Amino acid sequence: MDEFSALFHGFAVVLTWYNIGMMTIGMVLGIVIGVLPGLGGPNGVAILLPLTFTMPPTSAIIMLSCIYWGTLFAGAITSVLFNIPGETHSVATTFDGYPLAQQGRAGEALTASFTGSFIGAFVGVLLITFLAPRVAKFALEFGPAEFFAVYLLTFCSFIGTGKDPAKTIIAMMLGFGLAAIGMDTVSGELRMTFGWSELLRGIDFLIVVIGLFGVGEILISMEEGLAFEGKSAKINMKVVLETWKKLPKYWLTLIRSSAIGCWRA
Amino acid sequence: MEQEQQRADRGLTHAAADALTACVIFLVGVVMIIDNYRIGAGWAPDGPESGYFPLRIGVILCVASIVVILRSLFGKERKREIFVPWNKFKLVLLVLLPTMGYVLAIEFIGIYVASALFIGAFMRVMDKYSWVKTLAISIGTSVVLFWLFEIQFLVPLPKGPLEALFGY
Repeated sequence: MDEFSALFHGFAVVLTWYNIGMMTIGMVLGIVIGVLPGLGGPNGVAILLPLTFTMPPTSAIIMLSCIYWGTLFAGAITSVLFNIPGETHSVATTFDGYPLAQQGRAGEALTASFTGSFIGAFVGVLLITFLAPRVAKFALEFGPAEFFAVYLLTFCSFIGTGKDPAKTIIAMMLGFGLAAIGMDTVSGELRMTFGWSELLRGIDFLIVVIGLFGVGEILISMEEGLAFEGKSAKINMKVVLETWKKLPKYWLTLIRSSAIGCWRA
Repeated sequence: MEQEQQRADRGLTHAAADALTACVIFLVGVVMIIDNYRIGAGWAPDGPESGYFPLRIGVILCVASIVVILRSLFGKERKREIFVPWNKFKLVLLVLLPTMGYVLAIEFIGIYVASALFIGAFMRVMDKYSWVKTLAISIGTSVVLFWLFEIQFLVPLPKGPLEALFGY
């Protein structure tokens, strides 16, 4: 029960004009930074940290976390409009968001993306506030065997639901191979670094994402002879409200994804 | 028959693209096998050696790429449609090869000089901007980025002999 009183005390602290102003500034800055591929999330927060040196600590944390959430949404913006994920979390948004944008429904895709993110974040915060100790106890019982079982299920389902098993296996093994580069945490041996000290920590996931998606998009647009432009999106209140009207149809998806997200965290 | 020949002559077919990619991936798999054999891929007394898992990944990669090669060259349902016509492929190569050269040049002359050359070359050769604009934008961008990363953020990026002359 004291969790409730702590929560309401937190709301009282947050709901001042100064803090709300900091939130707005943080969101805008976050979206601006997150739209640039490669610069988002933790990097954006770290770069804008000096802005907060003169602010009271609570407001600083409010602004920095709003910057973080802003960059997460902005990753979805570039995923939907350019098919280039701005954040590693937005890779999956390209699968359905970009085709929707190609059909001219980019406003719907963006609205669905930010509403889904909001609901997911809300559920996650609720979980942390009220259920953290119980969830932590359950998470501790998840050992190496259980992790292996989950990964095995994932990769076997890729092969099962993919179109061409041989090509799916190639893609998966290339991913494993790239992940294996670097220093082994158990024995300290250097796998596949070929003498380059820069590869000691392995290959960063963001670099692979930018190379795969970013360079690929540029080459495709060169092939089509077009200028490199994203899809245009009309997002106004009408589009947002219409999409919100359709969203309750997908309540089961929202619950399922929130559960998976909390499980993963 | 002749039309099919014409169609095939005018571009790279899906089957050919599959086979080429699978060959490259086969070589990647061979490299993985060789390097992981070097660091030990057997079973030590305390568990698998560090190359155990990656070696088997390399083997699976080689086997899968052979399957793709055989299927794309001799399979019955191989796709003979054009993957990319030669003229479009030339456009793609015009972007891809300079980009690869740029990445290689970063190693030797540093990222700022290489970026200036890259931007300048694309502006001048591809879009035919005037010399003034080309030099202004390419050198200006590199100088601004240098100031931003080296002096303001203090983030060291790969530098070459030109920056060494100035003491960086």
